[in-house]
Amino acid sequence: MAEPMPDLPETTLDAPLLPDGLARIATQGTPCPTPVFRQSHLHRLADRWTHLLFLACTLLVVLLIGGILYFLAARGAGAFFPLAGNTDKVVTFREVFLSTNWDPGDGHFGIVPFIAGTLAVTGLALLVAAPTGVLTGVFIAKVAPPWMRNVMRQVMDLLVGIPSVVYGIFGLTIILPMVGHAWLADAPAAGFAVSAAILAVMIVPTVVSLSTDAFESLPSSLDEGSQALGSTRWQAIWRVLIPAARPRLLTATVLGLGRAIGEAMAVQMVIGNNPQWMLLMRQATDQTPVLRFLFTPAATLTTELVQELPNTASGSTWNNVLFAMGLLLYLMTMLLILATRRLGRQEHA
Amino acid sequence: MLSPQTPETKPVKLSVRNLDFRYGEKKVLDGLSMDIHAERVTAIIGPSGCGKSTFLKCFNRIHEVSSAVQVSGQMAMDGVDIYRGGIDQVDLRRRVGMVFQKPNPFPKSIYENVAFGPRLFGVRDRATLDGLVEDALRKSALWDEVKDRLKESATGMSGGQQQRLCIARALAVNPEVLLMDEPCSALDPIATAKIEDLIGELKENLTIVIVTHNMQQAARVSDYTAFFWLGKLIEMDLTERIFTTPRERMTEDYITGRFG
Repeated sequence: MAEPMPDLPETTLDAPLLPDGLARIATQGTPCPTPVFRQSHLHRLADRWTHLLFLACTLLVVLLIGGILYFLAARGAGAFFPLAGNTDKVVTFREVFLSTNWDPGDGHFGIVPFIAGTLAVTGLALLVAAPTGVLTGVFIAKVAPPWMRNVMRQVMDLLVGIPSVVYGIFGLTIILPMVGHAWLADAPAAGFAVSAAILAVMIVPTVVSLSTDAFESLPSSLDEGSQALGSTRWQAIWRVLIPAARPRLLTATVLGLGRAIGEAMAVQMVIGNNPQWMLLMRQATDQTPVLRFLFTPAATLTTELVQELPNTASGSTWNNVLFAMGLLLYLMTMLLILATRRLGRQEHA
Repeated sequence: MLSPQTPETKPVKLSVRNLDFRYGEKKVLDGLSMDIHAERVTAIIGPSGCGKSTFLKCFNRIHEVSSAVQVSGQMAMDGVDIYRGGIDQVDLRRRVGMVFQKPNPFPKSIYENVAFGPRLFGVRDRATLDGLVEDALRKSALWDEVKDRLKESATGMSGGQQQRLCIARALAVNPEVLLMDEPCSALDPIATAKIEDLIGELKENLTIVIVTHNMQQAARVSDYTAFFWLGKLIEMDLTERIFTTPRERMTEDYITGRFG
């Protein structure tokens, strides 16, 4: 058994790290005395206070997010349960989530058309944007010469920052008339096709930017390893690089999807804002089903909120159902973010 | 190992004449000439930055993947200049395999890593692939360790196993030459010993060129040793002679640790 270690001499917390005596010994015989390095009390105090400041900021953000969720949930619940603020009758979950009939004036609050609209427009946009974005990412990271890589990266970063209403104006004034003129015998072209196209243009830069990062972060040893076995450059890209980057490419796509789902302005300007689009599609018989689906004026959760929320009275069923829609959007986006997180974790594992 | 008493019986596989290599303005290799014999292990030693890795990469032209380089002089495999116009780089790289400094398994299963090469060349039949994978893994002395977990990810293996997997991956396309660029520099001594044993077995029917920082390793595994300094070939001879009676003073100084 080793002997127990002796106790350390007692020191006070404020004692300087370098005792005065030691400092003096060290300076003996030298013309310039060695300074004793010590943080001032002010700095230590500031350290403690900044800690509190950071904590307060974090709490504020958490409170805000939680507050929004609570607000949406409280108002949305009013649609289904008789709450204090209600001025109107309540509706059942069935009437809201399973009905395609949206006619608030007549007491019908089916939001299926908006959910379907959101899914359709984001799905279509992603169908275009995901492959385009990923392949552009490959091109920028692995194929383009250095000067072009720099230009493309900067262009993509700029495009990410363009406000969505600008895309909306572009769609409204240029794309809609053009499409209507070219394919639809001057019939209005508003609907999923043009909305999805605008949305795709909006999210492609995000997907490109993130997939470029994904490909650039791959070690060049993978590329070399593949080509050293006799693969062509394209085989290396298809068989090694894209599979290796897959988790990050999925994250890029999901983040693009997140941006698409929440987009209201640009879509609202070109989608036609017709809550009864499902009914209209069933009735119309003049075009093929695909064309009818692509060019029937429609609506999504976001566009309907933008369109109708300002016109409804607080506490009315109409108003409450719109809040429920907002809550639904919030939860969908949350789910997407969680999915992104999970994908990111898988990548690191 | 080949000794000075036994005459060389193997033909020349690779021959290099007056090879110059430039990255832009910088001359990395300067007037190199050497012959490399089939089924022998040729080690290339020299201090960092002497161009030995660059030289190795000339044999499969892999440096052309990432940068623009200028090569002049001749480099021939079986008498055919591999820098001649009309040479298919993809075919060249199939015949001249490479193992890199750091193990670089693809983030796929062990099986898929080895099957990658054969698949590139259109092998689809499952039984054929299984056979090729097993054969390559046996040759790289990895089969017994991984035969029950072929479907597991290759990135979960130890560094030494990963490097042997990379050797198996290179062997699966049946190359004639195997280039090894400091294959043990990232490995512990036990894993290194395994790779060195492997090199001894593989040279039965492969031409091996190995770049190494480790002079003991060169002495242990190679039949020939070439000493590079500042992009020039100072001396090349039988390994035994290089390490006992080198002709050049500089070689002696380097292998005895007086510089480098």
